[in-house]
Amino acid sequence: MQGWTGKILDINLSNGGIEIVPLDMEMARLFLGGRGLGARLLWDLVGPEVEPLSPENVLIFTTGPITATGSQTSNRFNVSSKSPLTDTILHANSGGWWGMQLKRTGYDALIVRGKAKKPVVIEITPEGVALKDADHLWGKGVFETTEALGQSRNKRNVLCIGPAGENLVRIAAIMNDKERALARGGPGAVMGSKNLKAIVVEGQEKNKPADQDQFKFLLYETGKLLKASPLTSQALPEFGTAVVMNVINEIGALPTRNFQQSQFEDADKISGEAITDNILVKNQACWACPITCTRITKTKSDKEGEGPEFESAWAFGAQCGIDDLDTITEANYLCNDMGLDTISMGNTIGCAMELAEKGLIDDDLSFGQADKLLDLIRDTAYRRGIGGDMAEGSYRMAKKYGAPGLSMSVKKLEMPAYDPRGMQGQGLVFATGNRGACHETGNMLGPEVLALPRLIDRFATQGKAGIVSVHQDSAAVIDSLVYCKFTNLAVAEEFFARTLTAVTGELFTADDLMMVGERVWTLERLYNRREGFTKEDDTLPDRLLNEPVSGGPSEGFTVKLAPMLEEYYAFRGWDKNGVPKPEKLKELSLEFTIEVAYD
Amino acid sequence: MSDIIWLTLFDREEVRDIMRIKLFGGLRQTAGSPEFEVSGATIREALENLCAGNEALRAAIFDGSVLRPHVRVMVNGRDCELESGLETAIFQNDQIAIFPPIAGG
Repeated sequence: MQGWTGKILDINLSNGGIEIVPLDMEMARLFLGGRGLGARLLWDLVGPEVEPLSPENVLIFTTGPITATGSQTSNRFNVSSKSPLTDTILHANSGGWWGMQLKRTGYDALIVRGKAKKPVVIEITPEGVALKDADHLWGKGVFETTEALGQSRNKRNVLCIGPAGENLVRIAAIMNDKERALARGGPGAVMGSKNLKAIVVEGQEKNKPADQDQFKFLLYETGKLLKASPLTSQALPEFGTAVVMNVINEIGALPTRNFQQSQFEDADKISGEAITDNILVKNQACWACPITCTRITKTKSDKEGEGPEFESAWAFGAQCGIDDLDTITEANYLCNDMGLDTISMGNTIGCAMELAEKGLIDDDLSFGQADKLLDLIRDTAYRRGIGGDMAEGSYRMAKKYGAPGLSMSVKKLEMPAYDPRGMQGQGLVFATGNRGACHETGNMLGPEVLALPRLIDRFATQGKAGIVSVHQDSAAVIDSLVYCKFTNLAVAEEFFARTLTAVTGELFTADDLMMVGERVWTLERLYNRREGFTKEDDTLPDRLLNEPVSGGPSEGFTVKLAPMLEEYYAFRGWDKNGVPKPEKLKELSLEFTIEVAYD
Repeated sequence: MSDIIWLTLFDREEVRDIMRIKLFGGLRQTAGSPEFEVSGATIREALENLCAGNEALRAAIFDGSVLRPHVRVMVNGRDCELESGLETAIFQNDQIAIFPPIAGG
């Protein structure tokens, strides 16, 4: 089969060992690449005995079969590991150029094990693989490190950590191409624990499709569809991802002041419209992407950078009660330079603000204090003062001060910008997320708010389980190919299957792809079960289950999780305890997990 | 039918209710403002009044007599598709929000 190089680069930082091992092609067919292949490899490599910040944990960087073909958005890649924030499976993906360039080096995946004695950079070029000293880079920010290592858009690409990862901050991101992030679950801390500052890739190999004519036809057709859709050709390029800020606020589902309210009175000031009107310099695109949703912005103090996108604008905005767009934007830049997950950072600051207002921590912090935002981020990256608590993530911080219920997280992963009391299906997505509360693994914004593909009642619970499951499986397969989910606004799974067929030379149908998605989702579920997670972890913060929204269009609602969960387990072919049944595991070619499921 | 409801219906015939319409995304530039006050007994009437004299705005919202694909209209945070669509009755002080095609998250 074409599409895969058939090679995995396996580096052990403890002894400097560098090996090239063959990719099991049956594994590739079943899990494709990206998140799926990462989960399958992690299953074998990292068991429940492994502490996430120990040398025994691994980082697995994976591309997919379509990566670097030039198919629209075929730039993305994935990292898999065990999360130091959640102790669940960790997967995160990112765009830009680095993933495409890793594929061009001739490897489908890169496994990094062990721990270097002192800081190192891995360099993968046509001349070979080398481990280089990084003493001079340790302590530097992401921007300086990226420049120092010779980032060059289409030729040489840098992935690295900032001070947050070095200081083992549990919400630290890995950054690539300067301002793109593998953010959620603390992968930056895992990289820091290995004394690995950066990975530089330079490649020359091409991912040539097996059926060139069909591939070119699909490239043309996909381009037409992306251009014809007002979502991908107008909405995202004109206003970026933050254009949804106002609609989510309008329906009463924009979490405000640590989810104490569900509408922010100044949402418009931090919206996509405000970004376009006030700070936008130009759009930018990832490699091979015609959508161009990235915003290059400049603040009044002449600072320039990428973003903020929707989640970051919300996290430092509504979640913290802050309406100062310039400060929010600079907070986003600073997180990129420190190497921090903006969602977890903003959410954790909001949690600290509520703890302080309630007198649970000895600090004069309160909602709306824009002037404190940048210092709080720096203090987290360097573990100074209250930043030392925030570096542990909101759950550990809130628990330390006796109020774990004030952490707006699931499985310790901070929630993104949706109040599920106003979007019941989103509550089910968050509660069942394999990496914790996550909007990237089955977002219900489409069906519950934007009528994509059609509108369903956001307050209804019955029937949501099936829709959530399909969205979760679809997201899992897109993350395994690896495509950007925004292509799915204009292009259906059928097109992904036809493109995969053209690239690999082997027939894949849309049904095959959805089964890959279900297989990946189920394997992640079993990974967490092996780690000791049970149905008791499929839950939401008490506030969302028991405190009705106090005003606005979602007034009076809590999340009715129990009936949705019961329906969800049944729809997925799991038992009442949320454990996949043996026949389901056999159907998904996951027989090797049966012992774990029923131990 | 109670007197109160009857009076409300009576008022709606005789005194045109004034509603606030909020526009988002590119509709703001097309309309020239993010907010308007309009009258109308139904969403359709209010939108027709909003678009009167602005064909570009009409074209951005309507495809003939129906809404363009992906355009969402909400009344007090509730999508009108879940009510009676463009024929949904509206009342004094209702807030109408119109979103052009948007995506993100």
